[in-house]
Amino acid sequence: MTDAKYFTTTKKGEIFELKSELNSDKKEKKREAVKKVIASMTVGKDVSALFPDVVNCMQTDNLELKKLVYLYLMNYAKSQPDMAIMAVNTFVKDCEDPNPLIRALAVRTMGCIRVDKITEYLCEPLRKCLKDEDPYVRKTAAVCVAKLYDINAQLVEDQGFLDQLKDLLSDSNPMVVANAVAALSEINDSSPSGAPLVEMNAATINKLLTALNECTEWGQIFILDSLSNYNPKDEREAQSICERITPRLAHANAAVVLSAVKVLMKYMEIITDQEFVSVLTRKLAPPLVTLLSSEPEVQYVALRNINLIVQKRPDILKHEMKVFFVKYNDPIYVKLEKLDIMIRLASQANIAQVLSELKEYATEVDVDFVRKAVRAIGRCAIKVEQSAERCVATLLDLIQTKVNYVVQEAIVVIKDIFRKYPNKYESIISTLCENLDTLDEPEARASMIWIIGEYAERIDNADELLESFLEGFADENSQVQLQLLTAIVKLFLKRPADTQELVQQVLSLATQDSDNPDLRDRGFIYWRLLSTDPAAAKEVVLAEKPLISEETDLLEPTLLDELICHIASLASVYHKPPSAFVEGRSGLRKALPAKLAGETTTSEAPSSSSSSAPQVIPSQDSLIGDLLSMDINPPAVIQPAQPAPFGGGVDLLGGGLDALLDVGVGNTATAPPPAQAPMGGGLLGDIFGLAPSTTTYVAPKTLWLPAVKGKGLEISGTFIRKNGQISMEMTLTNRAMQAMSGFAIQFNKNSFGVIPAQPLQVPSPLTPNQSCDVSLLLNTSGPVQKMDPLNNLQVAIKNNIDVLYFAALIPLHVYFTEDGQMDKRIFLSTWKEIPTQNEVQYNLSNMTHNSDTVVQKMQQNNVFTIAKRNVEGQDMLYQSIKLTNNVWVLTEIKIPPGGSLFTLSVKSVTVDVAPGVYQAYENILRS
Amino acid sequence: MGGLFSYLKSLIGGREMRILMLGLDNAGKTTILYRLQVGEVVTTIPTIGFNVEQVTYKNLTFQVWDLGGQTSIRPYWRCYYANTDAIIYVVDSADRDRLPTSKQELVSMLNEDELKNSILVVLANKQDMEGALTVTEIHQALGLDQIKNRTFQIFKTSALKGEGLEPAMQFLSDALTKRK
Repeated sequence: MTDAKYFTTTKKGEIFELKSELNSDKKEKKREAVKKVIASMTVGKDVSALFPDVVNCMQTDNLELKKLVYLYLMNYAKSQPDMAIMAVNTFVKDCEDPNPLIRALAVRTMGCIRVDKITEYLCEPLRKCLKDEDPYVRKTAAVCVAKLYDINAQLVEDQGFLDQLKDLLSDSNPMVVANAVAALSEINDSSPSGAPLVEMNAATINKLLTALNECTEWGQIFILDSLSNYNPKDEREAQSICERITPRLAHANAAVVLSAVKVLMKYMEIITDQEFVSVLTRKLAPPLVTLLSSEPEVQYVALRNINLIVQKRPDILKHEMKVFFVKYNDPIYVKLEKLDIMIRLASQANIAQVLSELKEYATEVDVDFVRKAVRAIGRCAIKVEQSAERCVATLLDLIQTKVNYVVQEAIVVIKDIFRKYPNKYESIISTLCENLDTLDEPEARASMIWIIGEYAERIDNADELLESFLEGFADENSQVQLQLLTAIVKLFLKRPADTQELVQQVLSLATQDSDNPDLRDRGFIYWRLLSTDPAAAKEVVLAEKPLISEETDLLEPTLLDELICHIASLASVYHKPPSAFVEGRSGLRKALPAKLAGETTTSEAPSSSSSSAPQVIPSQDSLIGDLLSMDINPPAVIQPAQPAPFGGGVDLLGGGLDALLDVGVGNTATAPPPAQAPMGGGLLGDIFGLAPSTTTYVAPKTLWLPAVKGKGLEISGTFIRKNGQISMEMTLTNRAMQAMSGFAIQFNKNSFGVIPAQPLQVPSPLTPNQSCDVSLLLNTSGPVQKMDPLNNLQVAIKNNIDVLYFAALIPLHVYFTEDGQMDKRIFLSTWKEIPTQNEVQYNLSNMTHNSDTVVQKMQQNNVFTIAKRNVEGQDMLYQSIKLTNNVWVLTEIKIPPGGSLFTLSVKSVTVDVAPGVYQAYENILRS
Repeated sequence: MGGLFSYLKSLIGGREMRILMLGLDNAGKTTILYRLQVGEVVTTIPTIGFNVEQVTYKNLTFQVWDLGGQTSIRPYWRCYYANTDAIIYVVDSADRDRLPTSKQELVSMLNEDELKNSILVVLANKQDMEGALTVTEIHQALGLDQIKNRTFQIFKTSALKGEGLEPAMQFLSDALTKRK
């Protein structure tokens, strides 16, 4: 016997048993069987094979059985899309069942079955259910419209369901209204254009407000959410809505309260009546405080939202500091969040209280919390000037405790205090120096080194201290290395006499022994500065530093405004816009309403949005958010100095440094003018010495018109971009037996509006077997018509014999204009604005480039690199391209270390250009 | 004797007879089903899927499965073949053009193994329509002569007027009772 027997079905086993039970004519047995099937389904067994048998049990008057079958359908309809059609008739019948529960059940299940083939059959029953006499059925049908919209938006629009849904907003039953609102919001959110498909007006809003008082708590949330998306037409309307919403603040459900807060926060932007605003402000505080007495999870959510509210309107909670004091039994996440809010609320009025609390916290046992508390003390010092002295004293007390992490944290914040109040608290430096040995964290070490360098002239043994750090230079964190380099240069500039050796040592360590380009660059710059003009160096390195501002951790104002619109959602807990964590949602980003015209009051709440945005650290919420923060290493004060003429000045360094220069750089010129200095391996040469080449990549000529089709005329050619001008390079060959003359050329309308800028000049006559090269200048001011493919160009050439037609493909790169360099910030915002579905990815295989050569090659072809960063060893290049028709294309290239497979992501509002751009990259990089 | 026994058995509630009602779309299956069940003509829409109803005729209970006749649904008829006691095959007598299709479906269905013991009743429906073919013509067109080894009968009916259904049901119940 062969092994084939193992593959024959024996018609035994659980499935087979269930199948026969399902087909039993005993109702009781059937019901048991369906229950067994559902049980198997729930634990994850695949019972999809029973689909037809289960569907056959669908027409029953037993509600329980029907529910089970529906449950089964929701789960397996997708895996049996063809067979699912057998269920349609039953749905249709059930939607007309005398029992409203069954009608609702049917319409709800229909919405959950995401099978294209059957959705069209569900429209009629759905239409009936939307007009059902029973509110429960109408409510369920309303939700079903939103579900259907998700499956097939076009169908919903064509069938007029949106209007029906809108009609439900004036339904007599509040629950129906709430669910219709929820469905509409959902539909508006997912609208592809971002613009709401169904606009609310004053009349519908009024109906919503009426329903608000009568529906369940969850219905209230839906209504409040949609109110927050409505823009009142004038202040009076906003005020009246606010008044009608305020009672919701007293609701027991935290979600209702927060949703009401959201609406009020948003409308307060529009209202100019200061008295009204301050009344509202007073009303907002108590409900927020009440939320803090719920369980820790709710507290946390409330705190995250309060954190936003406090940033937007500090007035609301300014008198409520005490409720944010940490309780001993709070979970750590609540503690940290409370601490954050405490700092935001700290003011002269309450600083004494806050400080004594913070000092208490700093002696707790939880390390994270203690650190944050210490940091908070520093931030209070910076924020409330009057309290600075007291804060410093507190910090000194804490340093005396000698608890390692407290000391380190204290030193980090004291550095900030020094920057905020220069020349005020230097007396404490000696205390700090005592703790030098205990510092083992890079940030603390870097801070300490910065302090030493900054106040080198007052620390007698500064050179010794720095020298001791220098011993382990190679092992230090790069942050510490950079700081040490700067500090020693500062020291040298302040006390040149006895520290020359030290500075030479650090410069050679930085430039020769380090692999870190930042460190090397900074080393070279100092070196050059010191060797050419020490006076200028002094001006640069010891320049007056801008004072740091108090709030370095505020959210960026536009982000804050957006998050305010998302209060009571996950976004307000994450402090990230929904687009950052919800897949596939490209909807319009919300923003607070602009002030209505006709008022310029400035007596608004102090920190109201944009005007006060001091030194905000870029939010790191997005991929390229940190792109822009490449340079936020600690206080490096390198500013471009004007090259001071070398000569007369006192050469501080004498020959010593020159000698070093010789060794290090291999340059024998004694004092070369910096710009031309051939540095090392042309390190800077790459950057500065890029002779702009004016011709971009030229594709090889291709045969456009073979002689057989061209009545003896053969044309091959290509397109080039030279000095910002596109031209068509053609080779015309006469393969006929007679001479040709009277050449002329014409283009059909094309995607980029390319037309000849001059007549075609071919030496006439073109004798048999003669060929000539012609260059025809083109411009892009002609009529535009989209071609397929996009870069197709239809050409007609006339000569004395005939009119000949052919098509040529214009490589997209000739449209790349010279002014395609985008500003970093614009790049960043544009990148975010373009929806992710407009991003197309390609692979560039077998590449022999590294990131530098890619930058260079692309730059020559008007593809400009906006930023470059390194993520886990991979180089990422961000580039911008502008096409002649003002379409911007943004790209990202991933270059794995030493690999040959690059990943190219192309993002543009006009997604059609992506293949062309990819082709351009291919061609240019392979040329 | 056997007949009497089964008759008594049906009185005290025997097994439900499983009957499939098949035919091309728009033949009148759903109308017949409800005519049989409630005795009225109901407005119907094309059946996308199936209807199943209990029909009682002279103390016999039938479970009648009315399956949609559209092309897209016909492939799923086979899912219902198992344990079928009888097939009611409905033909639109006025739809001359599609009679060949109807024949083809009938033939391929009767070839199914699972149906080899089922009784067949063919209803030449829509006799009330003008230009409807007669029973003999339908008989001819469907090639019913070819049928062997099967209890079968053809009836002319009009579901709209309720004519001809009575004899068909009588035949069916007799045949089913006899077979017991």
